[in-house]
Amino acid sequence: MEFFNSRIWGILVDSFMKILIPGIQVTVPLTVLSFALAFVISVVAAVIQYADIKPLKSFIRFYIWIIRGTPLLVQLYIFFFGLPSIGIKMDAFPCAVLVFGINEGAYMAESVRAALESVPKGQLEAGYCVGMNYYQIMMRIVLPQAMRTAFPSLSNSFISLLKGTSLAATITVTDLFRAAQIINGRVYEPMALYCEAALIYLIFCTVLTWLQGIIEKKLNSYGGVK
Amino acid sequence: MIKVLNISKSFENNEVLKDISFEVEKGDVIAVLGSSGSGKTTLLRCINFLEKADGGILEFDGKEYDLKNISNKDIADIRKKTAFVFQNFNLFLNKTAIENVMEGLIIARKMDKKAAENKALECLEKVGMIDRKDYYPSQLSGGQQQRVAIARALATDPEIIYFDEPTSALDPELINEVLMVMKKLANEGMTMIVVTHEMNFAKNVSNKVILIENGIIVEENSSKEFFGNPKEERTKEFISSVYNQGNV
Repeated sequence: MEFFNSRIWGILVDSFMKILIPGIQVTVPLTVLSFALAFVISVVAAVIQYADIKPLKSFIRFYIWIIRGTPLLVQLYIFFFGLPSIGIKMDAFPCAVLVFGINEGAYMAESVRAALESVPKGQLEAGYCVGMNYYQIMMRIVLPQAMRTAFPSLSNSFISLLKGTSLAATITVTDLFRAAQIINGRVYEPMALYCEAALIYLIFCTVLTWLQGIIEKKLNSYGGVK
Repeated sequence: MIKVLNISKSFENNEVLKDISFEVEKGDVIAVLGSSGSGKTTLLRCINFLEKADGGILEFDGKEYDLKNISNKDIADIRKKTAFVFQNFNLFLNKTAIENVMEGLIIARKMDKKAAENKALECLEKVGMIDRKDYYPSQLSGGQQQRVAIARALATDPEIIYFDEPTSALDPELINEVLMVMKKLANEGMTMIVVTHEMNFAKNVSNKVILIENGIIVEENSSKEFFGNPKEERTKEFISSVYNQGNV
């Protein structure tokens, strides 16, 4: 095959570690930190809606409306290129964590809220009747059950977040994708290098999918709560 | 021990409870009968604040509470002295049988873990569920779940246990195991209000019977009189209709 000559093969072998290492050192932490932030936001936002805390609830609906109604790339640009002009400057990496966290948090909030609402009302009533207060019931009974229900869709969010972090390359974060772009700038083999980047994303996602399967099995093995 | 005065409750325009009053003495086992939709479950839920009554007074252990304007603290205090057994069990789905029983002790009453475990084992023993103590609700039959729910109710040493149609969600062959446990509690002197369709339980285990229809008490009587010599014409009709259910 003409395309796979020894030059291309050499570039692929040569660049593999150069793309993989930023993947491990930047893409993975970026994903994990963004997800952690998104998780906290989503649980707080979902509980506020579930518990019907009035003024905060409208604020949460507003937040979800804005975030889901505007593109992630635009949000990223506003935070990184826009905010400095009103005096708020951030490094690219924390800026990316913040934007991805806030963005994915809005979607995850809906998953967590749906999961909370799927917990039977009787669980809350039973909690009250054994003398627990609302906070205790939420922390020990309702949220753990909701998390189990939300787990598959949260895993989904995690995987889509991992791939979404490639957008951080556009605000100068040297992640997996930007590493590939930089090498391509030097050798100009876009087909080979971007396919290689795709392959490395695929490897990461495959590992995540495999982990998801193991954890789900574990969650089901104790009790099989549906 | 408990006095309920003029309790009323409407859902939108539907008046479910119309000024119902009754009294419970220590050791009473009161069966609350009535056809579906008569308001008997709502009555039970209102006196444990799972529904908010529109009006009425609850006297509990000599203290009076306005059911409409009761504070959350008073609700919490009363609930610590009562227990509730639900029609569909409502065991905590993410907890094992023994954890279900311990939860109210450790979390709500700050009991020491070891003591709570001993108490839970004792209660599970009483309902015959000790060998299933580490099972999750989803791994238990309805009758077993309900027995664990009764153990959970017992564990907190309540002054009274409310039963809301405890056997209505069970397969016929599982009803007896639950009724046997309830009978045992009654014989030990536990104060109980039991909303039920089980006429045999009302007749043979409870000492008092209340018949509710359309939100009012039709007849309140000792169970002997209620079945042997009812005061009201409506009671006779109710009893005969229930007993003739099977004869189609």
